[in-house]
Amino acid sequence: MAIAHEFDYFKPESIEGVIELLLKYKGKARLLAGGTDLVVRIKDGLEFPEAVIDIKGLTELGKLEFKNNRLFIGSLVTFNDLIDSKVVEEKFPLLWESSKTVASMGIRNRATIVGNICSAVPSLDSGPALLVYEANVVVKGSEGERIIPILDWFLGPRKTALNADEFVYGITISLPEKKNGGSYVKLGRYNGEDLAQVGLGILALEGNEYRLAFCAVGPLPGRAKKIETLLNGKSLTDSLIEEAKNLVPEEISPITDVRATKEYRLHVAKIMFERGIKAAVERLNGKGPSYGKKLI
Amino acid sequence: MKKISFILNGEKRNVYVEPNDLLLDVLREKLGIKSPKYGCGRGDCGLCTILLSGKSVRTCLILAIEADGQEMLTVEGLSKDKLTPLQESFIRHNSFQCGFCAPGIIMTATEFLEKNPNPAEEEVKEAISGNLCRCTGYTPIIEAILDVKKK
Amino acid sequence: MEEYKYVGKPVDRLDEKEKVTGAAKYVDDIEFGPNLLYAEIVESPYAHALIKGIDASEAERVSGVVKIVTGKDFPYKFGLYMKDRYIFAQDRVRFVGEQVAAVIARDPKTALKAAKLVKVVYEPIPAVFDPIGALKEDAPVVHPDLGNYPHVPWFFPKGGTNVAHHTKVRKGNVEKGFKEADFVFEDTYRIPRYAHCCMETHIAVGLLDYSGRLTVWASSQSPYTQRNLFADALAPLGFSHKDIRVIAPYVGGGFGGKAGVTMEIIAAALATAVKGNSVKVMWRRDQEFYNTYMRQQVISKIKVGVKNDGTITAFEITNYWDAGPYVEYGANVVNASGLSATGPYRIPNVKIDSYCIYTNLPAAGPYRGFGYSEMLFSVESHMTRIAKAIGMDSVEFRRKNGIKEGDSVAYGAPMNPNGLLEAIDKVAKEIDWGKKETSNDPGKAIGKGFAIFWKAPAMPPNVSSTAFIKFNEDGSLNIIVSGMEIGQGYLTAMAQIAAEILTVPPEKIRVELPDTDRNPYHWQTVASHVTWANGNAVKRAALQIRDRIFEVVHEVYHYDKDTLYLEDEKVKCRLHNSFELLLKDFVIGGIQTENGTYRGGAIVGSGSFMPEFTSAVQDPETAQGGHPNVHYTVGAAAVKIEIDKQTGKVRILKAVEALDAGKAINPMNIKHQIYGGLLQGFATALYEDMRFDENGKILNPNFTDYKIPTSLDIPDEVVPIIVEVPQPDGPYGARGIGEHPMIPAAPIIANAVEDALGIRIKSMPITAEKIAMAILNGKKEVDEFLMIMKK
Repeated sequence: MAIAHEFDYFKPESIEGVIELLLKYKGKARLLAGGTDLVVRIKDGLEFPEAVIDIKGLTELGKLEFKNNRLFIGSLVTFNDLIDSKVVEEKFPLLWESSKTVASMGIRNRATIVGNICSAVPSLDSGPALLVYEANVVVKGSEGERIIPILDWFLGPRKTALNADEFVYGITISLPEKKNGGSYVKLGRYNGEDLAQVGLGILALEGNEYRLAFCAVGPLPGRAKKIETLLNGKSLTDSLIEEAKNLVPEEISPITDVRATKEYRLHVAKIMFERGIKAAVERLNGKGPSYGKKLI
Repeated sequence: MKKISFILNGEKRNVYVEPNDLLLDVLREKLGIKSPKYGCGRGDCGLCTILLSGKSVRTCLILAIEADGQEMLTVEGLSKDKLTPLQESFIRHNSFQCGFCAPGIIMTATEFLEKNPNPAEEEVKEAISGNLCRCTGYTPIIEAILDVKKK
Repeated sequence: MEEYKYVGKPVDRLDEKEKVTGAAKYVDDIEFGPNLLYAEIVESPYAHALIKGIDASEAERVSGVVKIVTGKDFPYKFGLYMKDRYIFAQDRVRFVGEQVAAVIARDPKTALKAAKLVKVVYEPIPAVFDPIGALKEDAPVVHPDLGNYPHVPWFFPKGGTNVAHHTKVRKGNVEKGFKEADFVFEDTYRIPRYAHCCMETHIAVGLLDYSGRLTVWASSQSPYTQRNLFADALAPLGFSHKDIRVIAPYVGGGFGGKAGVTMEIIAAALATAVKGNSVKVMWRRDQEFYNTYMRQQVISKIKVGVKNDGTITAFEITNYWDAGPYVEYGANVVNASGLSATGPYRIPNVKIDSYCIYTNLPAAGPYRGFGYSEMLFSVESHMTRIAKAIGMDSVEFRRKNGIKEGDSVAYGAPMNPNGLLEAIDKVAKEIDWGKKETSNDPGKAIGKGFAIFWKAPAMPPNVSSTAFIKFNEDGSLNIIVSGMEIGQGYLTAMAQIAAEILTVPPEKIRVELPDTDRNPYHWQTVASHVTWANGNAVKRAALQIRDRIFEVVHEVYHYDKDTLYLEDEKVKCRLHNSFELLLKDFVIGGIQTENGTYRGGAIVGSGSFMPEFTSAVQDPETAQGGHPNVHYTVGAAAVKIEIDKQTGKVRILKAVEALDAGKAINPMNIKHQIYGGLLQGFATALYEDMRFDENGKILNPNFTDYKIPTSLDIPDEVVPIIVEVPQPDGPYGARGIGEHPMIPAAPIIANAVEDALGIRIKSMPITAEKIAMAILNGKKEVDEFLMIMKK
């Protein structure tokens, strides 16, 4: 229903304009792209910005481009833009598969992947893929531009490394040099849209390199370093998978809430790992279920 | 108050809005467009869906001011002259019961069939999965959407 | 079966075009003009507290605020079957979210802002959330004055306790019955609360015009009953029925949640505080969850005795219903389902105790199934377990014990004609019962579950339904009724009945939505009784018109009335083949005679129907005597599911349901009810999961965390089956089916899970989590109940 809280609205036409406003409002302004997170929070009384800065006037932020083996995702690129992109589907299939699990059509037409990492909710679906692809966040602020590796981006629930005078210009992902296959497995309560109760992104690279990242089972999404250390350099066998499964409880700290108990999350996380890693390796070898097929 | 203008159902319109006015409310209260409905206010149910610059969006999560300079299409716009093949198909299949979810589903399916005129059943189910319906069990809706390609 | 031209055919819905073009108007689509005011409610954050003081002074100073009201302004009680409810809380609040005050302002944002400034001082007192705990001696008493509350004579509140009502059924002698049994089995089942989740939230707009007339526009299943309750509650202000008008346009879903009166009375009351202005009260989605009616929680203790050959000898059930703090409607859920708590079985010795218990969770009441969806989970889970325990096939057990026409039900009345055995046989055949199926995937298990079910309309014994019919100059008809089209296809069914008699095709018939000033009386659109009751009224009105038509033709042409008939919108005569008179040529203008004068004139008809064999005079100790239910609609259902043994996720491969509709007026709409109702039922079984915190606050009042089905969650295949064993007093033999599709959904899932995995889950919902953890922990029985989350 209606929003009672009052705020100013700006739609700057340049990067400088955005930064100027951020400086003026000293942390009391909020950036608006898709609005699918911000508007709900303003309605719920969880955000009460003095100003809303709409960045949709900066068309350069809508750029989705693959050049020199690097994908640039501007901060206005929506999840549906990623899904509709042939280059994302072919070259970054794990990102493509993750994007398909986000909400529904009407949300994905507006929600941006940059918005997703800026909201930094622990269950964000884009987190695991970006973490295993080792993406970089391109940030612009009053001091100029800086690059923040995604591994340093998440600091806590709804907390990121972004300063009050900065905004995210885009995300870059370098195409992994080696051949690879991936999977994003997401636990929801049913087939309809849901926030992840456990999310697991896996990248299996040629030469027995494995990267894994979880979301929704800790205060931040993160890489499962212990499992990676165990698996790296080895080819996947059933007993290795069993051994790795036993490390899952050490990598994650799920909680009990209305969506699921921690015991169930822990249990399914192991199943997701087993199915996810098998699928990732199969896909690396040109086989396996097609991307987008649900594994649980 | 800011004056914004846009094309609504093929017609150029202007309206005055505050920054905190929601697009859903401005459509319904100031522009006489009643087809998008309030269902949840959080983007979870799809009842408020219209096409904004050709894309199905949740108007409960969009500030009215963001529609400045855009193009919007609602069920009223589809129903002006002849009904669309999709609408005819829904009528033929008696798809809707209470009808409250109908506008949101119609707009979502309109965008979907534009992009994917010969969909498989699974694709249809996925396309409308963000539009909740409590009455029908979805089967007659899915059949109607699939039937558009046959005609 | 006789072939009709319109009845029994899949006639297109009358309202489909309006709904597909955006023309259909719901309450919030009506323009009320610049004088429309908006109300925002101040709600209690406590489940049980005394109100020490309300200070609205700061809120009143906000520019744009017109009036602020509290309980002091409306100290009037109301209630459908018992008067235990206030328009605004009086001296205390009884659930989290209860309305304490309202701010009326010129625009919604101002109302929101000002409402936050109203200061209420509460003194929390101990609350009770568990229905069995509420029966203890030292439990907090939710209604200390219960003993003084007016109520219908067939309710029995116990003053000084939390027992709002107790239905007792005693038939035969259960002790003897258990002694005769070879096998006795007892267990407890737990069913939590659920939410209707109509797509359109509750809304009501009230206007007291300057002449003192009150009009309320409401999204309502019950305009006449609402008018009655408004008149009753507001009588101290000088209102009576003719001073109040209730208008109900299209309703975006009801499912029982828009029956009776919940928040609509707030709009009626607020209107009296701002004469000359209409006031809109519209629920947000979260309010829709916690301040309307929820479906009641029930704890069901059931004990059944059978002989080795499967004959049921004794049945004992105690249902503890958590009905929330206001049971004015919910008490009848307890009563109605209590009377029929055996399920559709022939049982000589029955003991039923159904307690309606006050708690401090939100108000609960009618929901599709009216107690049967809730309690059948216990009954049909239990019967399958018994069959299994004595080595008898589940379906065979039902065939053996299924109730037949003439058998006496638990309260002594005879069972009506019904197609239960036919439904059982057809469902068993369609689901391939008896054939065990295994999945190709070793990680998955397939199981099948079966259940039978019934329901009678739960109504007072004297409910009436009426209809007016009028012609227009082009020979088209308006049927003017006060049933409500909540999506079930009611308008179309009425048109088909009138069409059949008057031979005017449904495309030329309009059925008008309720307006208590113009449309004649109908009790409520509930209980799946409207096709039957209003259909009878429409039929009578149409027959009256037909009679009048023949009367006039006879007068002018002197043909005998019993040689006349209608066909293709014309009057014809069996003895004079060349005679035909187009209806439209005389139904307004009359028939011209030889001398130039006219006979007849505008033709109208009316019909009224009230059952004259029902009574609520049963013995309060045994429920025997009296005839509280008009008839039962029966059915059978089965499901085949595939379970992922690691994640616990359930995929519904096939669902089959057979309903005995008596006569399917519109078979397509009945099939559509089956698609919708089964899915709604499956959702309660598998993933709808209402949670409260320890202080009685609902934790998931939104679709983000209360999951209702999407298009991705439908069964792979649904087979609806219509059985037709005519209802002797129904229009063309019809009886209602609106609620029934949902009723068996939960027990067939529970039974299928047991069939697949050997695990019996005795508490709803049967989530993937419950299944997976049971498998993981090697449990054979699960009764985990998570509705109230402990820290």
